[in-house]
Amino acid sequence: MQLVRKNYLFGGGWRKATPLLMLAPGVFLYLLIAIGPSLATTAYSFTDASGLRGLPVNWVGFKNYHEFLFRGLASRDNLAALQRTLTFSFFVTTIQFGLGLMFALILNRHLRGRSFFRILFFLPVILGVAIQGLIWKLFLHPRGGPMAEVFSWFGSSSEFLGGQATVAFSWVIVVQIWANVGITMVIFLAGMQTISPELYEAARIDGAGGWQLFRHITWPQLTPAINTNFLLNIIGSLQAWQLFLVLTGYKPGTQVLGYLVFAEGFGQTSGAVTTSFRQGYAAAASIVLFILVLVIGMSAAWLVKRRERKYLA
Amino acid sequence: MRRLSLIALLLAFGLVVGACGDDGAGTETTGTSAEPITLRVLVHQNPPMVEFMENFNKEFQAANSNIKVDMSVVNAADLATVTQTRLTANDIDVVDIFGFSNAVQSYMADAEPPAWQQLIQAGLLMDITDAAFVGNYDEATITDAGSFDGKVYSVNLGRVSYSGMFVNKDLLAEQGIGIPTTWGELVAACDALTGAGLSCMTLGGADGWPVFVGAYGLLGAMYPDQEALVEGLWTGSITWDDAKSTEMLRRFQVFATDMLEAGVTGLGHDAAPARFLAGDVGFMPTGSWQGPSLEDAPFDWTYLPFPGSDNAAENQYLFGKYDQGWAIAANTPNKDAAIAYLAAFSEPANYEAFANAVGFIPTQPTAELNTKLGAEVAPYLENFRVGYEQYFVAPKGIGQWANASQAALWFYSGDWTDFAALAKQAQIDLQAGLDS
Repeated sequence: MQLVRKNYLFGGGWRKATPLLMLAPGVFLYLLIAIGPSLATTAYSFTDASGLRGLPVNWVGFKNYHEFLFRGLASRDNLAALQRTLTFSFFVTTIQFGLGLMFALILNRHLRGRSFFRILFFLPVILGVAIQGLIWKLFLHPRGGPMAEVFSWFGSSSEFLGGQATVAFSWVIVVQIWANVGITMVIFLAGMQTISPELYEAARIDGAGGWQLFRHITWPQLTPAINTNFLLNIIGSLQAWQLFLVLTGYKPGTQVLGYLVFAEGFGQTSGAVTTSFRQGYAAAASIVLFILVLVIGMSAAWLVKRRERKYLA
Repeated sequence: MRRLSLIALLLAFGLVVGACGDDGAGTETTGTSAEPITLRVLVHQNPPMVEFMENFNKEFQAANSNIKVDMSVVNAADLATVTQTRLTANDIDVVDIFGFSNAVQSYMADAEPPAWQQLIQAGLLMDITDAAFVGNYDEATITDAGSFDGKVYSVNLGRVSYSGMFVNKDLLAEQGIGIPTTWGELVAACDALTGAGLSCMTLGGADGWPVFVGAYGLLGAMYPDQEALVEGLWTGSITWDDAKSTEMLRRFQVFATDMLEAGVTGLGHDAAPARFLAGDVGFMPTGSWQGPSLEDAPFDWTYLPFPGSDNAAENQYLFGKYDQGWAIAANTPNKDAAIAYLAAFSEPANYEAFANAVGFIPTQPTAELNTKLGAEVAPYLENFRVGYEQYFVAPKGIGQWANASQAALWFYSGDWTDFAALAKQAQIDLQAGLDS
């Protein structure tokens, strides 16, 4: 009995505490960096905090939430931003998912130059948001930019990012997909490379065609990659706002919730006019965003688990 | 024993984490001795100003061998954010701060105090009332753009106009067009220019704000008392959908859709003078701060109030604001160096060179603008008025179309195509906030 105990990495006595002690720094850092700010944001959302050290912070109850959701017509714009966030997420998730899968299917074949194209599609991922924005601002420059030139061939013109809100918003969706489709593709590629070639071989012997191979082998076998991409795309697009800052600035009709939080917190809501710092109010807006991400994320996770049970059981 | 070991391990970890922290005091502790000091200065992007400051910093460092100036330059739109974060982190010594404005008035119920007031109330800006260099600036500037509750927190470095327009006089003369003095003449001049295949107006609208700021002259021509306009909007004696405001919005639409050339939202504000210097554009409605970029223009130009009214006598006012100022972080560990820096900057010769470099209307009584811009704006200086943007404070709960002073941008981008419909919506959006 004694000999058996010695074979364990951690035995009894104080050794039993060793793993807990080794975990402690990580747990502490997680609490400090991840949970701490989240709890602080929740607390902040019930105050009139400005974010400036030295100013008193007063408890205001649900006043910030009331203002965000119900006060005057600002609530109309805030709810429109919430709806816009969902629209943005829907289009980004579906198109990015579809394109990423398509690119992965094509580049998983033995084609000439596939490594080059893999790098090409992945390249935007490693660029920062500022560089991504700069590239597209130049591409969409309404005076002599490449896209303006294309439009001019058809006798048309556009202000693109400086034009109508719906036009500018659509272009941000395009840029968001361009910037992130590479990572979706790589996750799918990794998933495809784990599928055993024997499965395809056996199916082909049984007379399966391309669509049947995809439907009955690739799609079910890709379940972990599909689920990962699905969740990453949804959560990433719900939280995205930096490209809006770089590409359109604070423009009526284009703000998503994430940008609204930033603009309210750091006094950037009125173009040339510097407004106040309202981090308590911004915290309330961010809690609304958090609840939105939580509800959609949990629903998506539930769907994903159900799918896993179906295909991987 | 086990418990003691656990406590010891946690304590050790706590010490390591604590050692990684920063007490916020920076590395320097004094600015008086000859110890090396890094003076951290924050300014906003304005090419002539940044160029001047880089040269000034070199001279200051040469005269103060123990001080190294570390100047950060940020986009104007990001200045408030960076100021907030760096002051709060005690990571800056001298900050560039725009003239104190947008103060909450007694009729502005439940309005948030402006950012500069929050900074002072948070104790983040130093009281410089007793600093000798403050006396170099005129009294009105110190009172209007640097004081709060009887104490001085900033010295403002110049007034600028944002309601005028640069005019290519040679181009107008070539086309046989007189310099417009009324709205009707401006419309006719634009028709003549575009009819000749030229552009009427340009500006750098990539950041959005230059488009509506370009129309501030029109706003001023229609409402010469801009403080009264703001009070009227708050109290209901003026509405965005009354006859006068609706006519103003109609003119905003003409300005945005007929006068401005296509593609200005792709043109950066700093790049706009280069576009104007191409010589095929009649007018550039923008702030006087862009004047220094035109000093060496290959054609003759002037800077005039935007002729937004049908009555030429009402088009004689330049509206504007107090622009950049200097303030010192209250908690700076380099207090003496920061004061020495601003004292050197405020010496009359240095200040005059600065005002001429950036095109500011001086706030030191001894300084004069010796530039072409100075000569062009001189006739209007007596009629200089503080503009709408410096008075307006947004009521809480307003909708996104409530500040109709920005309507030129919305017309230009195509978000609105019917000025009468916008007039109604703007008032609804404003009223919703006032009523809430």
